[in-house]
Amino acid sequence: MPLTMAPSGQTNTVKKIHGKDATKRFLESLGFVEGGAVTVISEIGGNLIVNVKDTRIALSKGMANQIMV
Amino acid sequence: MSIKIALAGNPNCGKTTMFNDLTGSNQFVGNWPGVTVEKKEGRLKGHKDVTITDLPGIYSLSPYTLEEVVTRNYLVGEHPDVILDLVDGSNIERNLYLTTQLTEMGIPVVIALNMMDVVRKNGDRIDVQKLSAALGCPVVETAAVKGEGSMKAAQTALQLAQSGRRTEPQHTFCDRVEQALTEIEEAASGKIPAENRRWYAVKLFERDEKVLAQIALSPVESMQIEKAIAACEQEMDDDSESIITNERYNYIAKLVKNCVHKKHSGLSTSDKIDQIVTNRWLALPIFAVVMFFVYYISVTTIGDIVTGFTNDTLFGEWISPAVENFLVSINTADWLVGLVVEGIVGGVGAVLGFVPQMLVLFLLLCILEDCGYMARIAFIMDRIFRRFGLSGKSFIPMLIGSGCGVPGIMASRTIEQDRDRKMTIMTTTFIPCGAKMPIVALIAGALFGGAWWVAPSAYFIGVAAVIISGIILKKTKMFAGDPAPFVMELPAYHLPTVVNVLRGTWERGWSFIKKAGTVILLASIFVWFTSSFGFVDGSFGMVEDMDASILAAIGSAIAPVFAPLGFGNWQSTVATVLGLVAKEEVVGVFGTLYAVAGDALELVEAGDFGALGNIAQHFTALSAYSFLVFNLLCAPCFAAIGAIKREMNNAKWTWFAIGYQTIFAYTVSLMIYQFGLLFSGHGFGLGTGVAVVFLICYVWLLFRKGYKEDGHLKAVVPAAVKAQ
Repeated sequence: MPLTMAPSGQTNTVKKIHGKDATKRFLESLGFVEGGAVTVISEIGGNLIVNVKDTRIALSKGMANQIMV
Repeated sequence: MSIKIALAGNPNCGKTTMFNDLTGSNQFVGNWPGVTVEKKEGRLKGHKDVTITDLPGIYSLSPYTLEEVVTRNYLVGEHPDVILDLVDGSNIERNLYLTTQLTEMGIPVVIALNMMDVVRKNGDRIDVQKLSAALGCPVVETAAVKGEGSMKAAQTALQLAQSGRRTEPQHTFCDRVEQALTEIEEAASGKIPAENRRWYAVKLFERDEKVLAQIALSPVESMQIEKAIAACEQEMDDDSESIITNERYNYIAKLVKNCVHKKHSGLSTSDKIDQIVTNRWLALPIFAVVMFFVYYISVTTIGDIVTGFTNDTLFGEWISPAVENFLVSINTADWLVGLVVEGIVGGVGAVLGFVPQMLVLFLLLCILEDCGYMARIAFIMDRIFRRFGLSGKSFIPMLIGSGCGVPGIMASRTIEQDRDRKMTIMTTTFIPCGAKMPIVALIAGALFGGAWWVAPSAYFIGVAAVIISGIILKKTKMFAGDPAPFVMELPAYHLPTVVNVLRGTWERGWSFIKKAGTVILLASIFVWFTSSFGFVDGSFGMVEDMDASILAAIGSAIAPVFAPLGFGNWQSTVATVLGLVAKEEVVGVFGTLYAVAGDALELVEAGDFGALGNIAQHFTALSAYSFLVFNLLCAPCFAAIGAIKREMNNAKWTWFAIGYQTIFAYTVSLMIYQFGLLFSGHGFGLGTGVAVVFLICYVWLLFRKGYKEDGHLKAVVPAAVKAQ
């Protein structure tokens, strides 16, 4: 399922990252890699704050939908 | 021998703090050639021949963002003697990703393991020796915020640079990838420099376009390389770039497991704060309360006290009389006393009066920024701003722009996407800045008896102008396309540091003070001269009656342009034109030109609206409001125009921005005035007709179908839908 549907507080594993090359690379350099852990901290209208590799990243809904967990 | 140290690292890892720590005030701020990415250089304290370059904060060396390209070009092209790589110890895994790329470049690397204070406080342990061995470079523990270890890191870097040893990358990828890299190195051996063979091999494996363009491979070579990559991709079932990314993270994961001992996992304090502050229901109310306090403190309480002191006591009682007495005592000519006291001290002083208030506002905004809340504001506002084509990051320039447009426009740099940034630059100055508030107060006082709603309406008009412009511009071909998806690292909350906050406040405030000392000084002299001199009975000289002055002649020539807006007299025209110099000039000029007894600005502040009667005679409520709107929305002051030009980095775009703002202001004011006349029973005239035409244009611009970037999207629409 897309990351936007993951419940807050629960740790998930990234299964796949969709999207154009540049988007995908950027997410990867931020620490979103297949097999890596990601935790949703809070959610406002689909926009997310997540914890990945000990950093907090704010993601818009569109971007979060590219990350499958 | 002079040594170049390059400071590299992720955003938010404390790079700027360390740079300030190492260089003190010895800094030169400029731009990287051809782009508006800031370049900071400085000399290491106590070492005249050591230059430190603060590279932009980046996550990787792939060529996807401007910052990454700039950093790469610098490291490859300029070849610094040593890289000081800042690694955030509390977030080591992600930070080491960049480190693995930096160590491949054939340049000596020293790691400054920063934020060790946070690591210790969390109870985590990092085995520095193992880390150093695994990465092949010296590691120095630092806590830049507290000034610990920065100098030691720099010394270590110096020693390494002087020893001339290069850092050899210690990390390896899996056997299959290594095999492919060896094949590539062999195939391209003649074309790539031996000292950073590894770097080029990896980049060729990733099919990096910039590197491919740089080293012209022969068809045979590229075929061999492509074969090696394709075979590896086939076997590992992934594209080459992802393979490398995964291999890097795999290596780091192993390394972290060996060297880092975490006390506990789970939610940190910062995460817990985020669960409340960025909560779905509480985020906006908390934000509103924070903003209320920021403006309440900076405008009403502390700001008002210091501004009052500067205007009334510092300039009014101390400087002005002292200068006047001094000039009179040395028998200076009357006209020169007038120039200095009324023109220069009065004009510049009126502007400097805003400085304290602005500094208080900037101080509070800097605290919000330094403690990490500002990044959350961008996140909270993103959902709202996205609706009219701007990203949440556009909100920060506008927030700062409510103090002064110049630092506001400069703050747009954090927006990565070019068209989002340009749109933000164009709309930021619609938000009334500190200098526009006196105009609002003057009009509210003189024409509306100090009505409470005038000031909020100014902000409302500013915000509406941003929204309308956002929607209109987004539908043009230039700006079409969704705002860049919002992705932003949120720094962990921490107590703001005094040095960072004061430095940030000063940098923003300084741009305003500098303006007062230069442009406004000249303008004050110009206004004084042109309004005091003129032709009377064919002879040139000082004039008593200002209607005969040069300024009146110039104003009268331009005035008809503003007649359809309701203020086609020369005084208003002159005030508006001089508003380009600085918006606060408008009030001063009004006071002078309408012969208000006393300082118009002070009368407004003191609430003595009766004394402004002279101004009221020249306006109706309607024409005054139209005048106000035009001055709020039209091209900003010269200093802000200068900032627009610097940030756009392009004359054509600068003119487009200023032209758009002015035309927008003109048409909106015209509509307000003409429709106002119509509804107050003045009948339908030519002006009303023009206003109707403008209104139709705006409605069309707002509701038309926008330009679509992707032509193929339309083809997906089923034929049946189209036929309807």
